[in-house]
Amino acid sequence: MAYTAEISRANPSAFIFLIDQSGSMLEPIAGSAEGKRKCDSVSDAINRLLHNLIIKCARGEGVRNFYDVCVIGYGAQVVPGFSGKLAGRDLVPISDIANAPARVEERTRQVEDGQGGTVTQKVKFPIWFEPVAKGTTPMGQALSMAHHILEGWVGRHPNSYPPIVINITDGEATDSGPAPQAEALCSLCTNDGPVLLFNCHISTKPLEPIVFPDSDDDLPDSFARTLYHSSSLLPDGLRDLARAENLDFGTETRGFAFNADLVELIRFLDIGTRASNLR
Amino acid sequence: MQPSAKAFWVPKAGNSVEEYEDASAHSDHRFAIADGATESSFSERWAQELVKQFVVQPPEHIRNSKIPLKEWLDPLQKQWHASIPWQRLPWYAEEKARNGAFTSFLGVEITPAPSRFRLFDLFRRRKGTQWHAFTVGDSCFFQVRNDAVLKSFPFDKSEQFNNRPLLISSNPSRNKSVWKHIKQTEGACDVGDLFLLMTDALALWFMKENEAGRKPWKTLLEINTDKAFANFVETMRKSSALRNDDTTLLICHWKD
Repeated sequence: MAYTAEISRANPSAFIFLIDQSGSMLEPIAGSAEGKRKCDSVSDAINRLLHNLIIKCARGEGVRNFYDVCVIGYGAQVVPGFSGKLAGRDLVPISDIANAPARVEERTRQVEDGQGGTVTQKVKFPIWFEPVAKGTTPMGQALSMAHHILEGWVGRHPNSYPPIVINITDGEATDSGPAPQAEALCSLCTNDGPVLLFNCHISTKPLEPIVFPDSDDDLPDSFARTLYHSSSLLPDGLRDLARAENLDFGTETRGFAFNADLVELIRFLDIGTRASNLR
Repeated sequence: MQPSAKAFWVPKAGNSVEEYEDASAHSDHRFAIADGATESSFSERWAQELVKQFVVQPPEHIRNSKIPLKEWLDPLQKQWHASIPWQRLPWYAEEKARNGAFTSFLGVEITPAPSRFRLFDLFRRRKGTQWHAFTVGDSCFFQVRNDAVLKSFPFDKSEQFNNRPLLISSNPSRNKSVWKHIKQTEGACDVGDLFLLMTDALALWFMKENEAGRKPWKTLLEINTDKAFANFVETMRKSSALRNDDTTLLICHWKD
């Protein structure tokens, strides 16, 4: 059965995040009271997700290399997106990411005080990925770069849980993408199944988001339908995990979100990056 | 009657012996097993603390309906916290450790019957000896008598296992939902009884084998050395009969 491989140091899995860095990412995201820009919302979400993945892989005094992770930005250019010491590198073992944030911000958050109230607590917020917004939307090129990177990776990790590619965009591709490049990318596979591609369209408009749909019936245009059809069906394991949190996905549910706001973006990333059998 | 107990364990394949996160301990009348959660940090020392303390001093009033586990855990949680090298931990290890370590726990205590029956018990070869078990999580206890499973605890059927058992945390604030999920049970001991304590992977195999009518305790009784146990586990893992996980067995034969 596909998508059942155990994720271990001997057989790690991989994530690639493709981040739209076109000029329109300067606009405010839907669902943000402070008018937060889309590029800032996405970089915050990616940094938070990297943080969560590192904590998930932390054991004792170190981090176990259960994942290789790559961030690719596409806009004025298509390039690996890490900042600081990791700049220019594509797939990086999670322990290297843990030990090399570009910088660490101090932020505040509300936490329970244990007596029914909340207190403000300072927390460290490591940054690996900075917001960028300039140029067009060469999504096809970004998918091709992911394909190129993963082609070698699946060859070196034939028994691994298949890599997951998460593409976050706010608009239409300005090159020939995404359908042919997405199809080529998802033809790569390990013995445990094909590469998974999840697409997330983020929004400026305060319209109702459609997240993890099981048909294209409610999607408003051909671009959304193209992205929906190029997204992978959610494997059983991910659907079961989502079901445990009262999210009832059907067997035709695809890893796709349309018009996602900040909350939906984070939820999408959270569900999309879970694997049930991390050991 | 005297119990004769022996523990066997092997780490998950691919992990080193230092990365083994189960724990077991026993005295002549107390037996404990724990399964430190792989997803938490420093869970091996948390699991060890619990089983060792149970053997030395189990929670008071263990046979009452409400085990005062919170008070029992309090000094152990402080001990765990003091054992963590906070000063030298990198940011991620510190954050992970602050979440707390988690473990399943199962403890069994064998006690003589109440004193007013003791004389009677002597005449009846102390048939009044009782066992009492309590657990949080998915470590399991089986009592085998007359070539059949007499008691299976806390699960009756293999399908009752799930991937998200409730576990005891070293972080007091993470235990709020634990108290109402403590399970306990008791029964009588008899000569020839076999008591088996197992962490989840082996327990799941045991229950499936038993459900298929294959008397898995016979296989386990033939194991006498650590090497034999390691070979058994490796064979079972290769045939996918046993999930690749830390695997621990505490076996106690109640002999005359």
